[in-house]
Amino acid sequence: MWQVLQNLWNRISRPKPDLLAFPEIFEHFQALLADDQRVMELIADLGEKSGGEYIFDRKYLIDTTEEIQTLLLRMVKGVNLITANRYPDLYQAIDRIFIPLGAELRGRLLLSKEMPLVIPLAEAPQDRPELIGGKASHLAVAIQNLNLPVPGGFIITTRSYRLFLEHNHLEERIHALLESWVAGEHDERQVSRQIQYSILAGVVPREVAGDIRRQAEKSGGDWAVRSSAYGEDGELSFAGLHESLLHVPARGVIKAYKQVLASLYSPEALVYRQKMGMLGEEAAMAVLCQEMIPSRASGVVHTLDVSGRESDCLVMFASWGLGRTVVEGTGPADRYVVERDFPHRIRSQEIARKEKLVRAMAGGGEEEVPVPGEDQSRETLSEATVEALGRWALILERYFKRPQEIECAIDQAGNGWVLQARSLQLPKPTAPLRQDICETCALYPILIQDVGVVAHAGVGAGVVAHVSADADMDRFPEEAVLVTKYTAPWLARIVPKAAAIVAERGSAAGHLATIAREFRVPTLVGVERAMEILAAGMKVTVDTKQRTIYAGRVKELIQYELVQSMAFEDAPEFRLLRRILARIAPLHLLDPQDQNFTPGGCQSVHDVIRFIHEKAVEELMDLPRFVKRFKGVKIFTLVSDIPLGLKILDLGGGIAPEAQGTRLLPEHIRSWPMKALWEGLSSPGVWSTEPVPVDFQGMMSSLSKTVAVTPGATTVSGFNLAVISENYLNLHLRLGYHFNLVDARMETEAPRNHIYFRFVGGVTDLTRRSRRAQLLEKILSQFHFKVDTKGDLVVAKVLHLPREDMEQRLQLLGRLIGFTRQLDIQLRRDDDVPDFVEAFFHQNSPLGEKPPEGGSYDGK
Amino acid sequence: MTENKLRVLVLDDEPIVCKRLKPALEKLGFAVDTFTQSVEAMHQVQQSAYDIVITDLKMKEVDGMRFLEEVKKRRPQTEVIVITGFATMETAKQSFQKGVFDFIAKPFKLSEIQDVVTRAAAKIRGAGA
Repeated sequence: MWQVLQNLWNRISRPKPDLLAFPEIFEHFQALLADDQRVMELIADLGEKSGGEYIFDRKYLIDTTEEIQTLLLRMVKGVNLITANRYPDLYQAIDRIFIPLGAELRGRLLLSKEMPLVIPLAEAPQDRPELIGGKASHLAVAIQNLNLPVPGGFIITTRSYRLFLEHNHLEERIHALLESWVAGEHDERQVSRQIQYSILAGVVPREVAGDIRRQAEKSGGDWAVRSSAYGEDGELSFAGLHESLLHVPARGVIKAYKQVLASLYSPEALVYRQKMGMLGEEAAMAVLCQEMIPSRASGVVHTLDVSGRESDCLVMFASWGLGRTVVEGTGPADRYVVERDFPHRIRSQEIARKEKLVRAMAGGGEEEVPVPGEDQSRETLSEATVEALGRWALILERYFKRPQEIECAIDQAGNGWVLQARSLQLPKPTAPLRQDICETCALYPILIQDVGVVAHAGVGAGVVAHVSADADMDRFPEEAVLVTKYTAPWLARIVPKAAAIVAERGSAAGHLATIAREFRVPTLVGVERAMEILAAGMKVTVDTKQRTIYAGRVKELIQYELVQSMAFEDAPEFRLLRRILARIAPLHLLDPQDQNFTPGGCQSVHDVIRFIHEKAVEELMDLPRFVKRFKGVKIFTLVSDIPLGLKILDLGGGIAPEAQGTRLLPEHIRSWPMKALWEGLSSPGVWSTEPVPVDFQGMMSSLSKTVAVTPGATTVSGFNLAVISENYLNLHLRLGYHFNLVDARMETEAPRNHIYFRFVGGVTDLTRRSRRAQLLEKILSQFHFKVDTKGDLVVAKVLHLPREDMEQRLQLLGRLIGFTRQLDIQLRRDDDVPDFVEAFFHQNSPLGEKPPEGGSYDGK
Repeated sequence: MTENKLRVLVLDDEPIVCKRLKPALEKLGFAVDTFTQSVEAMHQVQQSAYDIVITDLKMKEVDGMRFLEEVKKRRPQTEVIVITGFATMETAKQSFQKGVFDFIAKPFKLSEIQDVVTRAAAKIRGAGA
């Protein structure tokens, strides 16, 4: 009888097949957390490698990508086990990310449909010169990263070129003709004529032509249609070998496109490619179409004097009218020698007698006309224009780390434009430097050596400017060396202006380091006493490659770097790494309530792990399932004066062994992060129990509010849970109508540590809730969090801080959770926000946690 | 002073390694020659004496191990630093047995190799003094 009853009981109590038993859930959840951590570490590693301090090869990239994929697959399996297979679509998300990643690593992405046929300059990918050509890559950077005035336009990519050849069956024909030339059967003129004729007679495929027309008709004006061949503006110079057509009306762009393609096979281009040993390689041409600037004057800037006469100077040439005169050197031009130092004063100028100018003819084409008498001997460029051109030229040089040659135009209104920018070809004899670089550098006093971590490798020189507060940023001079205590995320705004960055604290994997790499600004972090040693106003040269900071401007070193050293950023391995990172590192899924927060919305590896983490935790929070699953598992209830109704699940080491029964006192908490947070939350005065005075609008809103519409709500209310271990905390806390999530790890090794804080909802209308979000943003960013807000959602993160700093911030979060509990009701006007920020700091200052001066650590 | 410079040869078939190491070591005061072709590097060490040789272990034509044997045979006092993308204890041990000064696994930091080369230079200068 007993046996029968026992069997019956077993049958009833056996979990349904879709629900795993607790120990398994627990195991999967822990494995997920560990894998999540490992993937984040690998992503941080890849980011660090892109800073140039490491030497790595393609194999490293392949190995790391494979490891990430393995971890991700395991995580997808894990989350599906926990959730009874609710997210099988995650497997597709992984394929969507890793199939192109694999193709990228094997170098086979170029012909894929993912690559555009035609793309606007402002949207063009910068790390694909093989798709858009060197010229267009340079200009894409100038527009997108450097914000220089470049005329708008679009690129007809090399994918279009290949499609064109395929469509017209030209590949084999071209190949056969080239072979006949190499074999000496025909001369280059015959071969060139035949290939060019075939190209000009070809039909541009319909999808390409359609895209071109759509782009060309966007502008009412004429177009400049130029070659942008791969390698053209790089190490090799094809300057002038390929065609550029000017004043092309929109309807003529397709014809002009073919003409430019044909110029790839001009006799001169063929001979040049043969001489350079490139004939065997497949040539491919992208074509750049830019809006024409009706120019009053044109100029060329060299950031180095090619003649070698002027050291440490820029040289500018300029003349009236369109650029042909000065670019092709067909007429006399003014010559300006300009100081490299800001504000780029003119050191000397030679004004030429300019008798003729080239201008656009009505109805197309160009004409040469006489220059009016009074203008003939007048200087073409004003001092202000010289200053602007000099500044732009040096911005380009700093970014590309090579001396630059820039073509520019001045329009009828006097505005300057950058038309082209390329590496300046230096005459060979200047290449070996006369003096020895090591001996020369030894003549300059060294201020700092062998300290710090390289976030981005390079050399930059300028005047030291300390930045500790917002106001300092507005005063930050052009091309200065940014010296700061913390690598605060909010410093991002001035990164593009900085010649170099030196920070006392921070991590090479943080947010600011990522921005510095995007703008290629040499950056050294973890340099103790930098603020003290590098006094504001000093001139210094920062060589992060050698981790050395010199007093003064070491012009020999700057020139050595420009001429002798390579721009590692342009090496194929680094380009590949950046392209891989673009599919791995960015986080697009910020808000779990967003309709895109689905497996289908995952665009990057970071998105996938974020999604999995959220869903795994959500599953644990699902009360009905939770109760079933966790039957027999010890869940503690925290007993305290603060009425949180908090249940605690210990994954191990989070609770003192002496805790008895299921009720737990705060002093039994052993989990580091939980303890810190609780300290904040339970500080005197934090949990204000006085009722908040509610005004009419606030009250109406609170009455009409239901749980169901509260964003961020779990399905059942009144249930707060902390999942803890010795070093980990995941806390879901609903207080009234808003919802807090804290996910934190605190270990002895700083690189493993993180705090993730999410706050959403509230009792009042969205405007007031948004005010509270603003308030949180203000306070959290003072404490070095990277904060994103969207409406009433606040997402804040801080990474890689030592344990004691993490502790301080978790205490802060505890206090903030208490402080902001009902705050939205009180935030009646926008003006209330600063008062409450002030009140918070005032109220909390006795705890010794004034906002540290000057910004924040990295959060990412 | 220039004549006193120590001579360094770098051999790695990945051009990026040579391109990054040359300026990094020149700035430390070494005279640096780089090679991506092991045949050319082999030819060069037969012609000319180097104080320090940095070589990859796995390359297409000549095996890095054979190259370092040749270097040591011709000029035993040359300090050899081995870099490789296939870091295993076995290759490390093997190269140490052949009198290699130190062993660096890819990916590595520029400052790491600068440190190793500086230590090798100190040893050479110490021995020469």
